[in-house]
Amino acid sequence: MTTTVTGPHREGPRQEREAPPPLPTVPAWRRRLRPYLLSVPAVAIIIGILYPFVLGVYYSFLNYAAVNPNPVWVGLRNFKAVLTAPEFWHSVQVTLVYAVSATAIETVLGIGIALLLNRSSIIGKIFEKVLILPLMIAPVIAAVIWKLMFNPQFGVLNHVLGLGSTFDWLSRDRALWSTVLVDVWIYTPFVAILVLAGVRSLPKEPFEASDVDGAGWFYMFRRLMLPMMWPYILVAVIFRLMDCLKIFDIVYVLTAGGPGNATRTLQVGAFEDSITNLNYSRGSTYMFLLWIIVFAVARYLVSVLGRAQRRAAGAEG
Amino acid sequence: MTTRNTSRRNFLLGGAAAASVPLLNACGVGGSTADNSGAAANDVTGGFDWKKASGTKIKILQTPHPYQQSFQPLLSEFTELTGIEVQADLVAEADYFTKLNTELAGGTGAHDVFMTGAYFIWQYGPPGWMEDLDPWLKNTSATSPDYDFEDIYEGLRTSTRWDFKPGSPLGTGGQWAIPWGFETNVIAYNKRLFASRGVKPAETFDDLIQLATDLTDRSKNQYGIAFRGSKSWATIHPGFMTQYSRMGCKDYTSEGGKLVAAMNSPEAVDFTAKWVQLAKAAGPTSWTTYEYPDCTRDLGNGNAAMVYDADSATYPKNKPGASKEAGNLAWHPGPAGPDGSYATNLWTWSLAMNAASKQKLAAWLFIQWATGKDAMSKATKAAFADPTRKSVFDGAFKQTLGAFPGYLETFEKVIDSTKIQFSPQTKFFETTEDWAVALQDIYAGQNAKSRLDALADSNTRKLAS
Repeated sequence: MTTTVTGPHREGPRQEREAPPPLPTVPAWRRRLRPYLLSVPAVAIIIGILYPFVLGVYYSFLNYAAVNPNPVWVGLRNFKAVLTAPEFWHSVQVTLVYAVSATAIETVLGIGIALLLNRSSIIGKIFEKVLILPLMIAPVIAAVIWKLMFNPQFGVLNHVLGLGSTFDWLSRDRALWSTVLVDVWIYTPFVAILVLAGVRSLPKEPFEASDVDGAGWFYMFRRLMLPMMWPYILVAVIFRLMDCLKIFDIVYVLTAGGPGNATRTLQVGAFEDSITNLNYSRGSTYMFLLWIIVFAVARYLVSVLGRAQRRAAGAEG
Repeated sequence: MTTRNTSRRNFLLGGAAAASVPLLNACGVGGSTADNSGAAANDVTGGFDWKKASGTKIKILQTPHPYQQSFQPLLSEFTELTGIEVQADLVAEADYFTKLNTELAGGTGAHDVFMTGAYFIWQYGPPGWMEDLDPWLKNTSATSPDYDFEDIYEGLRTSTRWDFKPGSPLGTGGQWAIPWGFETNVIAYNKRLFASRGVKPAETFDDLIQLATDLTDRSKNQYGIAFRGSKSWATIHPGFMTQYSRMGCKDYTSEGGKLVAAMNSPEAVDFTAKWVQLAKAAGPTSWTTYEYPDCTRDLGNGNAAMVYDADSATYPKNKPGASKEAGNLAWHPGPAGPDGSYATNLWTWSLAMNAASKQKLAAWLFIQWATGKDAMSKATKAAFADPTRKSVFDGAFKQTLGAFPGYLETFEKVIDSTKIQFSPQTKFFETTEDWAVALQDIYAGQNAKSRLDALADSNTRKLAS
């Protein structure tokens, strides 16, 4: 059998093609099995994620610790103990202050840098590449370098800023803000790059029309660019906020959660309980409660992102 | 009859649920199932022979340290003596105990022998992660007649022995590790600076505060004394615990078999307040981040006039070319207590056997060799490390001390009063880190009495739970 292929846009004489050979008949059982075989990698990945998660949740209902190697089910006792401990709520406060302030500063700076880089100039192109450098340094290494720079005895910061040997960047009053500073240094370029990608993908026509109408730069930024950039900004905010809520490496290297408990985030608390004190159940409880916080914030932000995307596409008013 | 087709989503959920069933059934809670009773030692019979485990291979876990570095070149001699191959794995000290905690909790027996500190026995022993070495020591088929365990300083032998009962002193129960190298916590000072200022090391604690304050000149980036202040149990154990003990203070008292925290006793509050004041007036500016490498670095650079820490932490800075102040350092026991006490807290790096080891005889032969007289003498000659054996100290070790002024005198002054000054207890790391946090809070301005009252209350409750 031959089949003549024609198309609405095809021009010229008709061409006759040989029909492709018929597809081999696949047995019904193989057709039914195929979706499940295709799902196997996903199942394997889910198991890899779920295994430690389920195990951690399970531990949080036991009294499992190195000094108690034969644990028993204790129900919600760990949750009650943790939720009634002032240290936990202090850690929640530290974590939220860190996450919100670092994300806010990085977002504002990131947008500003992206707008500057969007102007096509030689300096912009050079900075575009230089600004990526902090992202190429592992956060732990960056934190170690910053710890050396913070040192009042020989650190470069006190020397350059003329602060002498008595200004302690990691004192109780300043330690949290110093850790935020390091986070901002590392991750602002990440926000800038995401926002820059968004800025460059915006259509030119609305801006050209506004320009013809005599609209000023700030008006265009506020009324056109910002609403259209909003989904990209939100993506950056979601990434950074989630990451900051789980912060461990920078804080642990710089202060180990101190002085006192001034920078003891939830992750640092979980590490102390699980690894240093070998109280696996209490550490797991911390982690499970942190997961609930991160999950709730993520769900909310993703719903906001969905609305912003629909609004930017003109689906909502 | 209706047929219900399984959707892929349900399949995924089912797969995950199926995976979690064996997980929940078999999640390895329950700790190690290894036998640490010493039964393996009793299986060794006949005459002692270094070749009894010939042909086997063991893995040891260590952290880079003068002790480890001085023994590393000798490992081939051990293989020649015993026919046992040794694979030494190194993990940096900052991560060493995190790695060790995780490995021992997993119960895999990946490493047959590991380096450990005495305090860690209190945490690793109760879950059954460590082999009791007492049956091995007592078995003449497994232990060389030349071993001479009693040659190891008594304070070190007892520091690695405990019965895990709250309130019970060290020196009772199983022998969980064999001391390999150790440190006393004393003062190292810059004798060039002291000579130029015409001052001598302080003999009382109040004089130490005054001396350190006098030697502090922030405008010249110079301060009086460095000691640890980071948020870690390790802040408490060197200089702080040594001077705390000399001042007659206790960490806990035993009441009816229960430990009651005593870090809020009047003398403890007074001492702690002075210690924190010393840190403020004459310590490093960022004291709350200071660990021992920071302290010794500042001593070596000439920023710190004194360091109150482990003797073995400071001596490398006096080796030619090792630091700016190399050749200018000297040692002193530090201030005596009001009653003349030189009570000193010790740290001992010891060798322990993993209870989950599959090569226990080979592991014991290695521990026995490494802590024996011959290997320790050779290691001491090759590199500078405080030996745990009196015979080695009096022999090979004293010959290496010429370039270290005051080191020998300091050692001999404190050695009889040197032991672990802490009360052994299974929540040592948690409660002692809390103690360090309290010091940091007081440093930040909190009232010493009320903060130490809260600490004592919290620690007593933690130990009772």
